[in-house]
Amino acid sequence: MAVAVKTKETSEVQTEQLMTGCEAIAEAIRLADVDVMAAFPIRPYDTVMQAAAKLIANGKLDCEYIVADGEHSQFEIVKHACAVGSRVFVGSSGVGWFYAFEAIAVTAGLRLPVVAICGNRALDDPGAFGTEHNDSLAVRDLGWLLPWAETAQECLDLALMAWRVGEDARVSLPVAIGLDGGFLTHSQQLVSVPTRAATDAFLPKFDLGDRLLHPDNPITIAPQVDQDWLMEIRRQNDAAMRRAIDVITEAHADFKKLFGRGGDSPFLDEYMTDDADVVFFGQGTLALPMKVAIRRLRAEGHKVGLVRLKWFRPFPTDEVVKSLSRFKAVGVVDRDYSFGSPHYGGVLYNEVRSALYSREQRPTIVGFVAGLGGREIDQSMAREIYEKTAAAATGGLSAGDQCHWIGVRE
Amino acid sequence: MTGIEYRDRLRRQMLPHILCPGCGHGIVLKALLRAARSLELDWDRTVFVAGIGCSSRLVGYIDGCTLHTTHGRALTFATGMKLARPELTVIVITGDGDGLAIGGNHLIHAARRDVDLTCLLLNNETYGMTGGQAAPTAEPGAISTTTPGGARERSFDACALAVAAGASFVARGATSLPLELDGLIARGIAHRGFSFLEIASDCPEYFGRYNQLGRGPEMLQLQRRRLDEVDRTLRAKRSLGSRRAEGPPPLRTGVLHERPA
Ligand code: SF4
Repeated sequence: MAVAVKTKETSEVQTEQLMTGCEAIAEAIRLADVDVMAAFPIRPYDTVMQAAAKLIANGKLDCEYIVADGEHSQFEIVKHACAVGSRVFVGSSGVGWFYAFEAIAVTAGLRLPVVAICGNRALDDPGAFGTEHNDSLAVRDLGWLLPWAETAQECLDLALMAWRVGEDARVSLPVAIGLDGGFLTHSQQLVSVPTRAATDAFLPKFDLGDRLLHPDNPITIAPQVDQDWLMEIRRQNDAAMRRAIDVITEAHADFKKLFGRGGDSPFLDEYMTDDADVVFFGQGTLALPMKVAIRRLRAEGHKVGLVRLKWFRPFPTDEVVKSLSRFKAVGVVDRDYSFGSPHYGGVLYNEVRSALYSREQRPTIVGFVAGLGGREIDQSMAREIYEKTAAAATGGLSAGDQCHWIGVRE
Repeated sequence: MTGIEYRDRLRRQMLPHILCPGCGHGIVLKALLRAARSLELDWDRTVFVAGIGCSSRLVGYIDGCTLHTTHGRALTFATGMKLARPELTVIVITGDGDGLAIGGNHLIHAARRDVDLTCLLLNNETYGMTGGQAAPTAEPGAISTTTPGGARERSFDACALAVAAGASFVARGATSLPLELDGLIARGIAHRGFSFLEIASDCPEYFGRYNQLGRGPEMLQLQRRRLDEVDRTLRAKRSLGSRRAEGPPPLRTGVLHERPA
């Protein structure tokens, strides 16, 4: 396993090291002083658990670490560790994530702030490991907060944010960070690693308060309420998800003050949008090839930019509407599929359209499904996405032009 | 059985295979092909079913009726197949992680029902395909990517488990005794009822490397030493965390349990 080759003091609060996205997550686990984590091998998540196992063996992390017998047990173990007040971490990928689905679904219902990563991977028939977002997206309606990382740095930063936001009493919901399998999980980048003291200033100790399951605090977790109270419980989840917007905004501001990172908005990352007519919209590592394409297109005089979504849940409707209303056309690039959905578009495409529906001034929105199964989104594909979006902006959009699959071999 | 043309039974378009040099699993594949030949199995009525992992990969190379299923579930696919088509000979290939961790529940219930299947569980104490994590058969003290300080938990005795769960034929073979293995696999397939075979295999790439046990040949020699140790009751004396200090645990091969189904 790759280890940091060089440590450079960049300030009093952080040092710079070379590491993969998975190792950056492991660093966050160390900094957050996680109490319990559960492992079960599946690519690409396994690299996180190996890096964490090494930290424990090297005496750098004091954490109960259990290799579960499968993903379902993995998620059950941390859920209950969380109920008794432990800060926890867990993760999986693709079909492994789906095997844990029963536990995943009830974790949100129980309002237990488990922090997980989903190393995004195709839902194979055995054999496909490349990135696709449908594994994470499958939980989109259940009450999990879903941020998506672009860089190894963001893996670490979002993980620290995840504990802070998820464990906040106003939220108390689980968080699953999306990491594009391969592109992000296994490629090395320079990462600024906060010191422990600086992390402590950002991330308070986990305190479940009067919801702590303890002999001195006899309460019932997951009471049998039958149908009588279920609707009220669901409504509480809804309220918590609404409050999460402000809690994320607060956490982002504090993080930026301490570490000087995170951009202007907690929810969106904009690139060359100031004078743009057309923007790409997407999440995860997709931003990297799109930024290259933008620089090339701009050299030819095209006014194009990128808006990257950092939190898919809660969906930052106001911010998205405010941002995208400025442009003539938006090309939403989905690294996922949603068969049979409106206009046969991807998940993100339909969310963005729905968010903008009530606006009088709204851009033309074109949907693209690209890069499935980890297929690289190359420059010719990015150009095709641009051309189709720009054409829609000027020529009107026929029903058949709403959504396109890019880079499919016929 | 001599004179077998393995190539006639292998999917040549799948070669070269993905197994690492010195991996024990190839020895098991050859033994299985020899056993199938010795029984003169009707190739069109024999199905090889596997889950996920390096061992489960073997079915991809057999030029016959094969099914590569999801992680841990090979026995459920096989059970369904056998119920629907009882005339088929159904052989399951699984590993320690696939068959004893994520699929452990299916194993005990297949044994309890005593379904007429043959299950080969290749035990190399590790999840090879994902990079060498500790499997539930990893002996205490074993080094892996999830146990860099040595495994702390007790390991499964897969054969004892299968007997307790109700399997009517239970045997253990080893890759260092390939001819005995041929016979054990053939007896397992011929047996009516649930036949469980644990086969000691080796993962030189991860388990061997992390535990400094050498490459394939050295690991086979080590297996032989474990077979010789069998009469000494080392296993009983070993305590948690002391595996490497006391030497490898003894290994007993042969048919361990057999009763009419
Ligand atoms: S990783 Fe281990 S078990 Fe898998 S093929 Fe290589 S040697 Fe064999």
